[in-house]
Amino acid sequence: MEKKVGVYICQGCGIGDALDVEALKSVATDEFDVAVCKSHECLCHKPGIELIKNDIKSDGVNVVVIAACSPRVMYDVFDFGSDKIVERVNLREQVVWSHPPQDEDTQMLAEDQLRMGLAKAAEVELPEPFVAEDLSKKILVVGGGLTGMVAAREAARAGYDVVLVEKEPELGGYLRKIYKLPPATPPYEKPEDVKLDEFVSEITSLDKVTVYTNATVASIEGAPCMFDAIIVQGSKEIKERVGAIVLATGAVPYDASKLEHLGFGKYSDVVTIQQVEEMFLSGEVKRPSNGQPVNSVAFILCAGSRDPEHLPYCSSSCCVEVLKQVSYFKENNPDCTVYVFYKDLRATGVYELFYKHLQKQKVFFIKGDVTGIEDDGSGNLVLTAEDNLTRSPIMTEAVDLVVLATGMVPTTAFGEPYKAPTSEEGEEVEEVPPDTILVSNLLNLKYRQGPEIPALKYGFPDSNFICFPYESRRTGIYPAGSVRSPMDYVRAIDDAAGAAMKAIQCVELTSQGKAVHPRAGDTSFPEFFMQRCTQCKRCTEECPFGAINEDEKGNPLPNPTRCRRCGVCMGACPERIISFKNYSVGMIGNMIKVINVPDEYEEKPRILVLACENDAYPALDMAGLRRLQYNPWVRVIPLRCLGSMNIIWIADALSKGIDGILLLGCKYGDDYQCHFIKGSELANVRMSKIKETLDRLVLESERVRVEEVSITDYHKLPKILDEFAEKLEELGPNPYKGF
Amino acid sequence: MEPKYVSQEMRDYIIEMGAETITWCMQCGLCTNLCPWRLVPGETSEKFSIRHMLRLGQMGMEGFEDETVLFACSTCGMCQSNCPRGVKIIDNVRSMRASIVGAGMAPANLRPILGSAHANGNPWSGPREKRTAWQEGLDVPKFGPDTEYFLFVCCHSCYDPRSTKIARSIVKLLKKAGVSFGVIGEEESCCGESIRKVGDEELFQKLASSNISLFNDRGVKKIITTSPHCYWTFTNEYPELGGEWEVIHYTQLLAQLIEDGKLKLSKEVTRKIAYHDPCYLGRHSGVYDEPRKLLNSVPGVEAIELERSRELSLCCAGGGGRIWAEVPMGERFGELRVLDAIEKGADMLTTACPYCMNMLLDACKTLDKQDVLEITELSEVLAEAVED
Repeated sequence: MEKKVGVYICQGCGIGDALDVEALKSVATDEFDVAVCKSHECLCHKPGIELIKNDIKSDGVNVVVIAACSPRVMYDVFDFGSDKIVERVNLREQVVWSHPPQDEDTQMLAEDQLRMGLAKAAEVELPEPFVAEDLSKKILVVGGGLTGMVAAREAARAGYDVVLVEKEPELGGYLRKIYKLPPATPPYEKPEDVKLDEFVSEITSLDKVTVYTNATVASIEGAPCMFDAIIVQGSKEIKERVGAIVLATGAVPYDASKLEHLGFGKYSDVVTIQQVEEMFLSGEVKRPSNGQPVNSVAFILCAGSRDPEHLPYCSSSCCVEVLKQVSYFKENNPDCTVYVFYKDLRATGVYELFYKHLQKQKVFFIKGDVTGIEDDGSGNLVLTAEDNLTRSPIMTEAVDLVVLATGMVPTTAFGEPYKAPTSEEGEEVEEVPPDTILVSNLLNLKYRQGPEIPALKYGFPDSNFICFPYESRRTGIYPAGSVRSPMDYVRAIDDAAGAAMKAIQCVELTSQGKAVHPRAGDTSFPEFFMQRCTQCKRCTEECPFGAINEDEKGNPLPNPTRCRRCGVCMGACPERIISFKNYSVGMIGNMIKVINVPDEYEEKPRILVLACENDAYPALDMAGLRRLQYNPWVRVIPLRCLGSMNIIWIADALSKGIDGILLLGCKYGDDYQCHFIKGSELANVRMSKIKETLDRLVLESERVRVEEVSITDYHKLPKILDEFAEKLEELGPNPYKGF
Repeated sequence: MEPKYVSQEMRDYIIEMGAETITWCMQCGLCTNLCPWRLVPGETSEKFSIRHMLRLGQMGMEGFEDETVLFACSTCGMCQSNCPRGVKIIDNVRSMRASIVGAGMAPANLRPILGSAHANGNPWSGPREKRTAWQEGLDVPKFGPDTEYFLFVCCHSCYDPRSTKIARSIVKLLKKAGVSFGVIGEEESCCGESIRKVGDEELFQKLASSNISLFNDRGVKKIITTSPHCYWTFTNEYPELGGEWEVIHYTQLLAQLIEDGKLKLSKEVTRKIAYHDPCYLGRHSGVYDEPRKLLNSVPGVEAIELERSRELSLCCAGGGGRIWAEVPMGERFGELRVLDAIEKGADMLTTACPYCMNMLLDACKTLDKQDVLEITELSEVLAEAVED
């Protein structure tokens, strides 16, 4: 495409009053020779838009550079069609709103912003969406329990074909193993019947749902809209091409045999909540030890849960499950003595009414840890505990049965850790801890990085615990229900619908060649200049989403529909052969190159800020919105993710005489907030290697700094930016100025 | 530390005594935080947590029988009226006390009180025949078949010299308004409200049934009480024992009489008067406005509203049998109340309950503030405002 650049400078929102717009224009016309350069008092209103549209129409402008507000606002107004390139220069939030008006340094900042925008506009090309052939919009649901069935039903109702795979002979999952459900109707005091048969026949009668029972997933290869799954049903092998996958394989109870300290295995009258469900399902409510009726029972909540020795987390549903079982016993025999030992009784919402109802049935609720269970000599069990509420040890009267409320372990938490093929000997070893992928035999993905979904914590295959529920680290695969996070029936139903929606979003966007999330709608994707590839595998190893497979020679085999367009591969590549049409190493490098660096006698330092566009960049905008002021030496370039940062930019900037470089990225580590999971962490690892570059240039390591910033940290930014500027002043100017 | 034993039998016994809501408690502790004991220092404050005491009751565990704990509650109702679970905390306290007192283990300080109530029909060790001594010099009508109201004078105002002034003032006001009322006299017994609260269920039943048969025999239909405690038990506890009458506290009746123009307060009382809401009239019975209306009807009075008033009124510490408790100086709620009134610039603190008056008088003396603040009962202020 032959480019014709038009630059439009807005004078509204205080820009015209604060800046010398004519001088700004001459940057475009004199330094960059742009064909069209105009200013307008209010670019986003109709006359302003008309002005631009007119130039597009009559002058053939096809690259529109808008020097006005932040690119985060008015993007719909400044949309001139998919065949036009639009580049935004942020003069409002990050220049005039955060710096004094009519000031030489503010003007220089504005001019550099424009230079960077023009440099980028010169490089940007229009992305062409990746659309492969034979795309499927079918949704595969793995697991036919409550979550799986609801996900299948919701997707089918929305008009999508569904394949539902269940390993047992019948659908139902855990619902098949329980006597009743917790109360769901006012006054919320009585457990409800399960009515499983009705539900199962509803699912099996749906035309759009194909159910395979007694079936497992033998393998899945491919990528969103092109997943080829092999389903094994007995001796039969069924091939299905699907667009997206809902993983609903659920959880299993924690192994009670590890709870000997609570008497399990030692006394036959110590059972689990699952065994109690079985007793009531079969109608055989008897003491295992002697077959006598149960007239007194003690429940122990958090049996092995919220316990660093066992499951460190709360399984979320056990409190209500136990309340439900208490009412089984009370219904069976109103005089049954019941003790419930708990850490916290987490019966929220309407379950509070259920809890209150059972308190009125004279259940002993005891807050505290059980310290011992012993035979009282007559075969009955006596429990001792630390009662928090009286601050004293207590001892119960003898009971017939002790029930352990064991927690949930996701089905993804089993199996040996998968070891991805490592780099060849002698090569640099990545320092970011590799993803935990357990060979749990659920999806059997043919991914270079491993056959299942990476776990976030405790084996749960979640992606971002704050922002993106259902999104795993494998695009197009959405965990839902108790495999994703411990949850009760009600939440699992919501979860199933949520994951089905995500799967639908995935197949719809992917079939249009667009990114699914978080850069929903992005049509760019990374392209590899293979002639220069050295098969170093950095890209395949560092991609947080397993988007890149490799051939037997180690060449990367990208799967564009798995890609989230974060650019981590671009930042990783030492040969710099990975680029997007509108985002590349060279493009950012050129933006850095056009920054005007005054010589050291002018005492105007320059600071390059590489800011993550998900949190740090909007935080900078917010600082401007609040009119927070900071030094005018900073030159901000937004990055898709800090993980796309290529070390060459640091070297470029320093050798050009820029005094310091500040990387603003998201929080990383256990509670990471990186939209691309590992991007900010990878950037940090790369920075730890920057010392070499600095040493070579004989520069102080303090010239490069990384800061974690979340979107709510905007008020801290002026301090971060100004303290860095002060530090650089101490160090003195970069000696490379003028070279 | 040896474990304490959970006892279902003990728990169920307490429930049987009337603590029907004790298992409803979820131990949130709001009660303990709202308790007036948190406002004062000392041993009782440190030992007594109503939340903890209820917990022991819930579990049937030993420990609640400690007298400092079990008899600390003044049944002010601050906790109960704010309990998120609707636990009837006072019933639970009463039942826990009953489980001990009923077994013959009343604390030493209460034994003479209970003994007197048993023998004399009043807890003040006053001979039955002296019950009408307060009437001396007044022409108090006898209740007869044609009398509209039976005036039930609280034992405290029958026997306590300072308190008799309340009874006398009320009589003066009723006569002035032309109300048809009368007193039965010696055969009347203590209403038993506080007796029941300290846990002597049997004695309460005895007093109540004696009163019920007496009142019913005499054809009582309407009762005026001088004390909110009598008012509360007649209204809330007597009906299920067979005592069903139209019961009214004197402040309610007088407020109505003033509104109807039957009672005129014409003499000026130029005082700054703060009104203290008695727990049993306010929180327990919902009567907040009538005493204020009365006070505002007195010419010359500048009525002062205390910081903690109405639903948030601070207890005088005289309820639940605490009127008979010995409390060290500095630990009495009444002292805080006296300071509340002084802080607001009042020169008189009035109330509508003989127990409150008693407790506030004590506190005022202890603080040596008699020169700054006068303690009265509302009827006395009103009586001063009518022409002789």
